Amino acid sequence: MNRVLKVPVLLHRAFSSSARRLRNKVPEAQKLFQEDNGLPVHIKGGTSDVLLYRATMTLTIAGSCYSLYWLLVASMPQRKP
Amino acid sequence: MAHQAHAYHMVDPSPWPLTGAVAALLLTSGTAIWMHFNSLVLMTLGLVLLLLTMYQWWRDIIREGTFQGHHTPPVQKGLRYGMILFITSEVFFFLGFFWAFYHSSLAPTPELGGCWPPTGITTLDPFEVPLLNTAVLLASGVTVTWAHHSIMEGQRKQAIQSLTLTILLGFYFTFLQAMEYFEAPFTIADGVYGSTFFVATGFHGLHVIIGSTFLAVCLLRQVQFHFTSEHHFGFEAAAWYWHFVDVVWLFLYISIYWWGS
Repeated sequence: MNRVLKVPVLLHRAFSSSARRLRNKVPEAQKLFQEDNGLPVHIKGGTSDVLLYRATMTLTIAGSCYSLYWLLVASMPQRKP
Repeated sequence: MAHQAHAYHMVDPSPWPLTGAVAALLLTSGTAIWMHFNSLVLMTLGLVLLLLTMYQWWRDIIREGTFQGHHTPPVQKGLRYGMILFITSEVFFFLGFFWAFYHSSLAPTPELGGCWPPTGITTLDPFEVPLLNTAVLLASGVTVTWAHHSIMEGQRKQAIQSLTLTILLGFYFTFLQAMEYFEAPFTIADGVYGSTFFVATGFHGLHVIIGSTFLAVCLLRQVQFHFTSEHHFGFEAAAWYWHFVDVVWLFLYISIYWWGS
């Protein structure tokens, strides 16, 4: 019963303007990206940076090879049906 | 740690120029392969790589400016020059299509009936949806200026509201134009009228979408407290681009929709 009585107060706290206002996370980001760890900016954000970089580079290399394959196919005489 | 004794930005080595260049290779060769061998894989790979490159490259620029403080006044000056030069190159891009339009419409050939609009072409009424589109873009120019002043005056809520309104107006324009394209009584294949109309307005529409996206990124950054009242160049660049898109539309409206009808 006591918990039920607290509901209006809890709801007000959950939806009050201070809860809806976003916290400014720029100072934390500034601290992270200014850390003296020698990391280049494109992977300085953490693990997700590294994963995204590896995925991108994989596509870059695979794509280059695939375009080379098609170049060879296109350079060969057409197979007549 | 060695500190620089100058105000310029010596960037960290980055892989994105390479991945971007390979994306361009895959997009171009992929289009050719699609045309000749009916395979979309290479072109799609290029598109995905392009999107990944753009996301990570511009993310890194935000990190360098907002989080690492590299965008000092001289660096910002360089960024301003860069954006102005880029927009100038886009002006020349559109100039070409306007040249094509005026070349064909000022001296219409006998094949067209010696008149402009050519025989058989039912043009769009410039005082219907095209006029509404003009009003929409002009209004968005006002709202983006409102957003700029809000940012400069530190009015966070107003900046978010006016920027959101600008983006919504941009989406409304795109929606209206898409409806027009669907309902138009002529197609891109309808002689030189169709070609000049759809290529010029089509590239403009693409730039509206690009501009809306740029503004949307600015909205996300404004919500996340990236902009200060003194330093918000990303927003200014987006606003410049948006005004450019608006001006191109005005030329399109007057030349193709109004004079050309």
